[in-house]
Amino acid sequence: MDLLSAHGLSKRFGGIVALDDASFSARAGEVHALLGENGAGKSTFIQILGGVLRPDAGTITLGGSDYRPVDPDAARARGIVTVFQELSSIPDLTVEGNIWFRREPRTVLRTVAKREIRRRTEALLDRYGFPALHPAQDLRRLSLAERQLVEIAKALAQEPRILVLDEATSSLAARETDWLLQLTRRLAEEGRLVVFISHRMGEVRAVADRLTIFRGGRTVAAHDAAAVSDEQIVTEMIGRRLERLYPERVSSATDRIAVGARDFSSGPRLPGVTFTLHEGEVLGVGGLQGHGQRELFQGLFGVARTQGEMTLWGTPAAIASPRDALVGREGIALVPEDRRGQGLMLSKTVRENLTLSVIRRMSSHGVLSRPREAALVKEMVDFLRIKVSTPEQQADTLSGGNQQKVIFGKMLLTEARVLLLYDPTRGVDVGTKSEIFQMMRDLAARGYAILFYSSDLQELVNVADRVMVLREGRVAATLAGDQVSEDAILRAAMFDEAA
Amino acid sequence: MNAFVARHRLIVLAYLGMLVLLLVTSYFSPGFLSEANLRSSVVLAAFVGIVALGQTFVIIGGGIDLSVPWVLNCAAILMAILCGGQDLPLLWVGPLVLAAGALVGLINGIGVAIFGVPAIIMTLAANVILQGLIVIYTGGLPTPRAPEMIRFLSVGRLGPIPVIGILWFVLAIAASFLLSKTAFGRYLYAVGSSATVAEFSGVPTARTTILTYVLSGFTAALAGMLLTGYSGQAYLGMGDPYLFTSVAAVAIGGASILGGSGHYVGTIAGALVLTILAGLLPALGLSTGALMVVYGVVILVTVAIGSEAFASLLRLVLPMRAGRIGSRQP
Repeated sequence: MDLLSAHGLSKRFGGIVALDDASFSARAGEVHALLGENGAGKSTFIQILGGVLRPDAGTITLGGSDYRPVDPDAARARGIVTVFQELSSIPDLTVEGNIWFRREPRTVLRTVAKREIRRRTEALLDRYGFPALHPAQDLRRLSLAERQLVEIAKALAQEPRILVLDEATSSLAARETDWLLQLTRRLAEEGRLVVFISHRMGEVRAVADRLTIFRGGRTVAAHDAAAVSDEQIVTEMIGRRLERLYPERVSSATDRIAVGARDFSSGPRLPGVTFTLHEGEVLGVGGLQGHGQRELFQGLFGVARTQGEMTLWGTPAAIASPRDALVGREGIALVPEDRRGQGLMLSKTVRENLTLSVIRRMSSHGVLSRPREAALVKEMVDFLRIKVSTPEQQADTLSGGNQQKVIFGKMLLTEARVLLLYDPTRGVDVGTKSEIFQMMRDLAARGYAILFYSSDLQELVNVADRVMVLREGRVAATLAGDQVSEDAILRAAMFDEAA
Repeated sequence: MNAFVARHRLIVLAYLGMLVLLLVTSYFSPGFLSEANLRSSVVLAAFVGIVALGQTFVIIGGGIDLSVPWVLNCAAILMAILCGGQDLPLLWVGPLVLAAGALVGLINGIGVAIFGVPAIIMTLAANVILQGLIVIYTGGLPTPRAPEMIRFLSVGRLGPIPVIGILWFVLAIAASFLLSKTAFGRYLYAVGSSATVAEFSGVPTARTTILTYVLSGFTAALAGMLLTGYSGQAYLGMGDPYLFTSVAAVAIGGASILGGSGHYVGTIAGALVLTILAGLLPALGLSTGALMVVYGVVILVTVAIGSEAFASLLRLVLPMRAGRIGSRQP
């Protein structure tokens, strides 16, 4: 008997069909993966489940009775809690403040019972073995990964019957991901249903009992996880055969040093790294989350204050702001960590986003040339195959993969030949991922130097020429050639080799 | 054409609202559409429009300038005293007063963009400080009459057209050019929609923000001089109405009060709406008090109409069009 089943679900947004007669069914006590490319309808489906959207047509039954939530509270009342990809935490509150937000235990005077909150928070974090969270921490001081953990804690605090995890692992590092995967198994064993959305096949393989695949708003298949191959899944997801996710690794690195850093430091998290990035090279940056990767990228790009030596194409460079970094061919460009907060003006058009960093180049004496802008925009939209109806489309109407392409386009237009890619495939579908990896290879072959951080170890292993592993803000190891493996990266990240 | 309407929906609405208001007013007050009356409306709207020019830039950039009343007032009094009723000194006093207005803007801008003082506090403080300074300076005594040359600029005409109308038109062209055709304009919208994204994109965010305040100080000072010409002399408190009207004109003109959107073309409609409204209410037999109440309500309603919350309310009321307004494609 299915705990949750949906039939004939349809949802349109204006002229766009998001869900088209989709169906879904899952049992209590299983981890059920929901797969599909960006834009396949997964988000719409879980927003309907979570009471955020109402379907135009179709029915859902939950535990044998009709289920039509009018809002997220109604969904929670029926035991469905969703951890959405876009974090909804409140930066001004503490960890515990967020976890119990709107459901704070009260004293007889109706004031918030602080001690009770602390007790419950500690019990909760303890019960599920949450890594590295303290109840009283201010949220604004936490990393994206830690905030994600808070969201999960908040969901678990509501004792859900059905927990929906939308890309919950996308901002987590390897160790936290492992923990979350184990947690989902445990929740399933407790008899709950976990609906698990991830673009990472390895994770799906590790936890899912069954899986349902959406494409173009329709349900194309549902399988027992054990009875289906990766290849078949990917084929069903993208509607064609994907030749390969990772491009062939032909190293194009030369002896010429693009970026040389010596005792390069930035704040307490990055006490000092020394490394070289060569022309034509993809240098991976690995390590556990929070070991200085962000500080390294932000420091190189001039967002954070730095000390130590840095050279760019052989000459000393002092980069105190992104303006110093974005200086054309001799400069540095960044694909930032937070796509929506740092990368895109969501309420502006694709055109305005693409050209923001090169406004000077398309104007003479401060006066814009619209034809020149249109040419640059068209060039990038075509080159990156960004799916837009017109460049005047607003950025927040694009899927995650297309948004990321716009950011790539913006970066490439600057013509900088040193690229800093901070987790560029986070929340991006498998088809776009493979395009991004291929592009990285092509750019490297043309002499670009690429520094590449990914929270997905597999990507580092398969895409980077060398991997520099950071531990406590220092280079713990630099792996090359046959040395590069998930195992070796993890070992370098966690243990002191000498010990 | 359709794309233009969709992109500038709120500006189009502002002009439609202005036309409706014009028709209603002429119904209740048949003389309203007379040439003389239209001319005086344009003159009154020009003062609002000129103060609101700088305010438009500041608000698009995500800030607000609350110092305009006393920048305006100081400029007016400074000019009147320094000229002493003569035309000739205006040649150096005019530029000096405009520069002083820009300087106040520069200080505001540096406070906001470099020292991180919230715009409300920074400009409110500047406003109070200027008020104090000018009271000390004048000792509360009345000022000499405005020079004739300034009177010509604010109440004179060339044929049927008021001189200040021409001046306003030229300023409007310049402002629209800055917003639509220059790198500075592009930077300004970027800073207003997300300062972080702008910073990460290499936009000179501090410089852009500071420039908006400089512009606002400049236009407030200009309006102060012109207004002195209009009323014949400068007096304490003459700038007070312009805080609310300058912000209201920008908001009615379709700019988001949170920054990142809007255009001076809209602000012009906003200034005209406020002026026509000020003519309509007396025609309906309403008092100055009532005028203020209606002013307040109008700005509340227009800002609410432009807001995201109103859009989602519409979605509830009009389920047929669900999701059209600002919703996210999955």
